[in-house]
Amino acid sequence: MILKHFENMISGIEAKLKKNPEGTNARKKFALEIARLGKKIYSGGERIAWCGVIAPFDLLNAMGVTSCFIEFVSSNLASTGSVEKFLESAEHSGYAIDICSYHRAVLGATIKNQMPMPDFMIATTAPCTGGLAVMEVLAKKFNRELFVLDIPQDESDKNIRYLATQIENMIDFVADRTGKPLDPSRLRKAVENTNETRKILKEVFSLAQHIPSPAKGRIFSGVVPALNLFLGTDTTIKIAKAFRDEFKNIIDDNKVDISNEKFRLMWLQSRPQFKTTIEQILEKQYKAAIVVEELNDITWEPIDPENPYDGMARRMISSPLNGDIKKRIEQFKNLAQDYRIHGAINSCHWGCRQGTGARGLITESLKEIGVPVLNLEVDVIDPRNFAQGQINTRLEAFMEMLGTRPSPW
Amino acid sequence: MNKNKMIGFTCAYTPKAIIHAAGYTPYRILPIGNALDLAGHILHENLCSHIKRVLDRALQNDIPELAGLVFINSCDSMRRLADAWKKVRPDHKIVMLDLPAFKNELSISYFAEELLRLVNTLSEWSGDAVSLKSINNSVKLYNELESILDRLHVRMQSGMLKGGSEKFQTLCNLASTQPLQQTIKLLKTLVTEPEFETPAKDGVPVFLFGNVLPDPDAYSLFEKCGARIVDDDFCTGSRLFKPLQTGGPEEILKYMAKSLFLNTPCARTFDPLEPGKIARDIINRAKACSAKGVIAYTLKFCDPYLDRLPMVRSILQDASIPFLMLEGDCTQGSIGQQQTRIEAFIEMLR
Ligand code: SF4
Ligand code: SF4
Repeated sequence: MILKHFENMISGIEAKLKKNPEGTNARKKFALEIARLGKKIYSGGERIAWCGVIAPFDLLNAMGVTSCFIEFVSSNLASTGSVEKFLESAEHSGYAIDICSYHRAVLGATIKNQMPMPDFMIATTAPCTGGLAVMEVLAKKFNRELFVLDIPQDESDKNIRYLATQIENMIDFVADRTGKPLDPSRLRKAVENTNETRKILKEVFSLAQHIPSPAKGRIFSGVVPALNLFLGTDTTIKIAKAFRDEFKNIIDDNKVDISNEKFRLMWLQSRPQFKTTIEQILEKQYKAAIVVEELNDITWEPIDPENPYDGMARRMISSPLNGDIKKRIEQFKNLAQDYRIHGAINSCHWGCRQGTGARGLITESLKEIGVPVLNLEVDVIDPRNFAQGQINTRLEAFMEMLGTRPSPW
Repeated sequence: MNKNKMIGFTCAYTPKAIIHAAGYTPYRILPIGNALDLAGHILHENLCSHIKRVLDRALQNDIPELAGLVFINSCDSMRRLADAWKKVRPDHKIVMLDLPAFKNELSISYFAEELLRLVNTLSEWSGDAVSLKSINNSVKLYNELESILDRLHVRMQSGMLKGGSEKFQTLCNLASTQPLQQTIKLLKTLVTEPEFETPAKDGVPVFLFGNVLPDPDAYSLFEKCGARIVDDDFCTGSRLFKPLQTGGPEEILKYMAKSLFLNTPCARTFDPLEPGKIARDIINRAKACSAKGVIAYTLKFCDPYLDRLPMVRSILQDASIPFLMLEGDCTQGSIGQQQTRIEAFIEMLR
């Protein structure tokens, strides 16, 4: 069933791209690569590794392993409107509704035999304790070997050394299972591609910061976390370039209207992965655009090809979802300033302790720089309790309040 | 040196002996007391009540004077607690140690380095260098405490401890909050008290495990329901008091790191080489104490347990071990609400 979905997605997007090759297509090209990856995973015949969200995908790609974080499946199930039966199946098997629905959906898909059997698994202790626990449960269910990367809280030299050594051990683990040792030239190429992607994405971000912003609606939503899956390959470069060129064209051709951007908003955590009218309401009713998402950012420095494991370790530790909240709040403040943000919306995804647990501190810190936060309290994967009416009322109150405030910029 | 100062802690993996060697009394901030439920506004309602109640105590000044806190990076919620603590008690010094999720040679030596970081931090806080020799001595003292507690635990298991499991939990709470020497003295007196001559035989033997259950009354409630707790495993109970290897002052940190890992882990620590090992450990513990059934009492919103318990249940089912899962919020009331379920389970075991 899921394979069919990816196949349909591929043929649908390919047809659209063929019909209008000159149109605004970056999002379609991105979606096409996502669908191709999904197809690859669900078709069998590939070496598959189910991974934690911040695994070093460039390294795994260099080793010829098709790797994917498990939450990829939940997002896809939610976006196609088919997630409910998987959530229910997990709940019937005893998984509490208080577990993050990204993981409940994956557990449900596994119970219903809709998660392809991996060759092995690579877990990461960040971003979340729940995700790590579910990787253990899946390893048991699949009866597959599990390698865990233990991610320390900050970038001290000792911590970098500890994680870099684990990454080197992971290489041995993978090579032992694939029978193919890491080819140093492929690793170098992957690192160069990673750095090139980083450079282009930084350009994309500065274009998205333009007033008015070309990054409206859902055009750029969720792109950076998903692109991580292709890190080290030409695909990320291709997609990043597509967004850069498209944003540049939009700005050069004056295709966005400043009068439609009275308010610039930042989204914290993920947006609902199922269909909602949040963006339309914000844009049409309130002339408000979500111009940046916290996860659409890069928090790491280029990786030294001569010493790649330290760089990869730094990159993993640098995730704002890892470590103490200070780092994440700093990132929000920087994004608010760079994107000239008037207000922020925090989904407060139910079930995410590490994310929602800092709700109060985030609200308070952003208030200090004049950016009010709307804590929406939604589940971004599970649509069953999503009440659009209530959300509309809360959006209305928030936007009215924003309208009475001076811009912080 | 720092005689009356306490250092707060919130996790069973905390190296209490290092805190003690630095001249402080390690004080476990237990999620008990009558503080109002306010922490949810700062954190979020969906965090476990262990975290929320501990923060409530800080918010409402329901803790003794502390010189600082040692947090362990044990789970997402614990990190959020440390963040919130900095905000609500800016007067406190804080250090958070990383705790690897699994044990191997690399992670143990890394954890030993984290212990060294704690030694250095506490030396800075107290103004006196903490020597490895003094840590070694503190480990010995803790081992003495642990061996007396163990004797009392054995007595409890056979139904021969006056006051039963409720009493044992009261002692664990004392031992994790009061000055070490004072507790040792008290326990030594207790251990010399005559044992019950006729061990309590009524009550169905059960193995009780979970994350946090510091309320002594909760244990008597289980016993009122017809259970006899023949063994238990909580991070506020026996898991807090396990002997540490010493091996001499030079290597003390390495030995401590190793033995902290060797001791029964809570669900947040696991073995990647044997996924699901937690269930096997539970089966072994239940069999070793001849329990007729196993009860899990875990806090709502605790991911390390929530995500693993269905797996544990299915493995226990395969091993034909009766299993009851209870969820609560650190209060006796939340167990009271499930009294009928507990009674029905015990009845079924008879
Ligand atoms: S939403 Fe939070 S708990 Fe869920 S997968 Fe993401 S980081 Fe983990
Ligand atoms: S009870 Fe669970 S969630 Fe709460 S602090 Fe302990 S391990 Fe973390």
